[in-house]
Amino acid sequence: MASLTPSRKTIEVTTPTASTSAFFSPAPRAEGSLAPTDQPAQGVVTLSPTKWMAASGGLGALSLVAFVVCLGFGTETIPFSQVARILAQGPLSAREAQEAPEYVILWQVRVPRVLLAFMVGGSLAAVGASLQALLRNPLADPYVIGISSGAALGAAVAVLFGVGLSVFSISVLPVCAFLGALVALLIVYRIAVSYGSFSIHTLLLGGVVLNAIFSALILFLTSLADPYKASGMYAWLMGSLTGPDFQTVFILAVYLLFGVCVLIRQAPALNLLTLGEESARSLGVEVERVKRVLFAASALVTGAVVAFSGLIGFVGLIVPHAVRLVFGADHRLLLTASGIAGGTFLMVADTAARTLLSPAEIPVGVVTALVGGPIFLYLLVQQRKRIVP
Amino acid sequence: MNHDQVNPSRPPIGAVGGRPSFRLHAVSFGFGRGETAVQFPVLKNISITIAAGEVLGILGPNGSGKSTLLKVLMRIVTPQRGTVELFGQPHGSFSQVEIARRVAFVPQETQQAFPFTINEMVLMGRYPHHNRTWGLGWEGDQDRAVAMQAMRELDVAHLGTRLITDVSSGERQRAVIARALAQDPDVLLLDEPTAFLDLHHQLDIARILRRFNRERGLTVILVSHDLNLASQSCDRLLLLQEGEIVTAGTPEEVMSKESLEPVYGCQVLIDQHPQSGLPRVTLPV
Repeated sequence: MASLTPSRKTIEVTTPTASTSAFFSPAPRAEGSLAPTDQPAQGVVTLSPTKWMAASGGLGALSLVAFVVCLGFGTETIPFSQVARILAQGPLSAREAQEAPEYVILWQVRVPRVLLAFMVGGSLAAVGASLQALLRNPLADPYVIGISSGAALGAAVAVLFGVGLSVFSISVLPVCAFLGALVALLIVYRIAVSYGSFSIHTLLLGGVVLNAIFSALILFLTSLADPYKASGMYAWLMGSLTGPDFQTVFILAVYLLFGVCVLIRQAPALNLLTLGEESARSLGVEVERVKRVLFAASALVTGAVVAFSGLIGFVGLIVPHAVRLVFGADHRLLLTASGIAGGTFLMVADTAARTLLSPAEIPVGVVTALVGGPIFLYLLVQQRKRIVP
Repeated sequence: MNHDQVNPSRPPIGAVGGRPSFRLHAVSFGFGRGETAVQFPVLKNISITIAAGEVLGILGPNGSGKSTLLKVLMRIVTPQRGTVELFGQPHGSFSQVEIARRVAFVPQETQQAFPFTINEMVLMGRYPHHNRTWGLGWEGDQDRAVAMQAMRELDVAHLGTRLITDVSSGERQRAVIARALAQDPDVLLLDEPTAFLDLHHQLDIARILRRFNRERGLTVILVSHDLNLASQSCDRLLLLQEGEIVTAGTPEEVMSKESLEPVYGCQVLIDQHPQSGLPRVTLPV
């Protein structure tokens, strides 16, 4: 039996102290024990608020440049000096609107569209990074594992049952898509945990089958719709950022900003969840509550994105992966940096989509799939080498 | 089976040596829900008191419920029957964070698919001490100092910037133990702490645990297949079989032919460790 010694620390049960370390600082040490505490923080170099600000700020500046550049491109190329001047005039300058066609193109077409691309791409990347931590799978992506098609099914049901394009419906559509996404996410999670530990391949196979089922249901619903509506739905399914107005962009921004902020708030818990639920719980994470929050926020963001822009795949996969290579795995930076980088990526991808075959337009979902699909396959082979025993 | 009642002549287990860290009364636990959990219990009617400041080794063959008992103590799982007290208060009255400030857990194996550095891994042990109402839980100088010292103790300080996915399983295991120490706990639970370690680091871990126990009164509860490691480094041993306590007592009491052979179902030879004089187990040829 261990005997009580004077150096034993007193155990406080009733009043937990949050900050102090009874262990390492004041306690007496035995002869020759590894010592010293004079150089406190040296060596433990990790993310700090300063680094976080620097990285986010740097990325933000880059994406601002990309924003201006993307505005210049399109069927009609506008020189950057002119883009800058028109932006400086603001959106409500009535005199300019009548005189310069560039003013109309920029403020009524391109700015809302590029903003939409930024929000959609950023949200998809942030959701992808969160899902990867939650499912402990670096290959998770809302599109690949079927969350997006769940949301699309929800939205398709709403459209078929007569939700039109009024302001009211623009607000309701994301809610239906949210419910679809939530159902899909719960099913996928159930599949992922059913094998005890999370297996990459179980999750991906589950996603493939879920995607197939949801696609079949969506096709079925589309076949019931009248041809005019049906062709609109096909275009939407391929992923498109066409023709938003400021009102749409604003409503979407409210949903996405809320959802992404909730995800970022959970970043420290996401870090611990990557260790597995048991370890996370032993480190003080209220795993069940955190999971519910993450499910709801991820479904909300995916639902809102899909309701407005259809199925845009792989952004949530390749962007967090690239960001991890540069900034490391800490989710506090990973989520914000993925958000900014994902937004920038989709702005550029969408600019390519509407410029390459101009005046025709490639659906942006096709562009991201053509870029992201091969990268996904490459990563899949890499992961096999690395993780699976 | 209530072990306290089986040996009425002895004082309750763990009552010696100060206030109890854990007190379990008639704890039964099974995985699954409802009837299945009750029909196939992994732990049956476990009653034991674990003193604050003792080093307890939990032994037993595969499937005897050793790891599950640790998970009950950590409240990773909640038993269907019986009560668990932590420092005299019901387990359920603590929040998860409050438990994590007192009890740390080193799992059998840690898999990590994401490229965290060892520094980041060890600093995760400071999570229960963060301010959670505002901000993103940034670590302060105090947190870094505690993590640094824990890393020095476990001989992983030089690996700080390496990725957890790139180091050997032994190095990873040491980083996880460093993380648990960085948690600044009163009780440390370890599930097979030395399974992946070479001889040198096995010895290191045993010594470090012993030293933290002596100097800071850390209660250590470890599950091990290594009977000799347990015998040499524990104050008290607990022998489990099919979810029940078979014997509990000092290494001399538990490490005997009479208690080990029926539980493990094979012959064992017991002699004395040449240095410590404590019982040593070997298998016959």
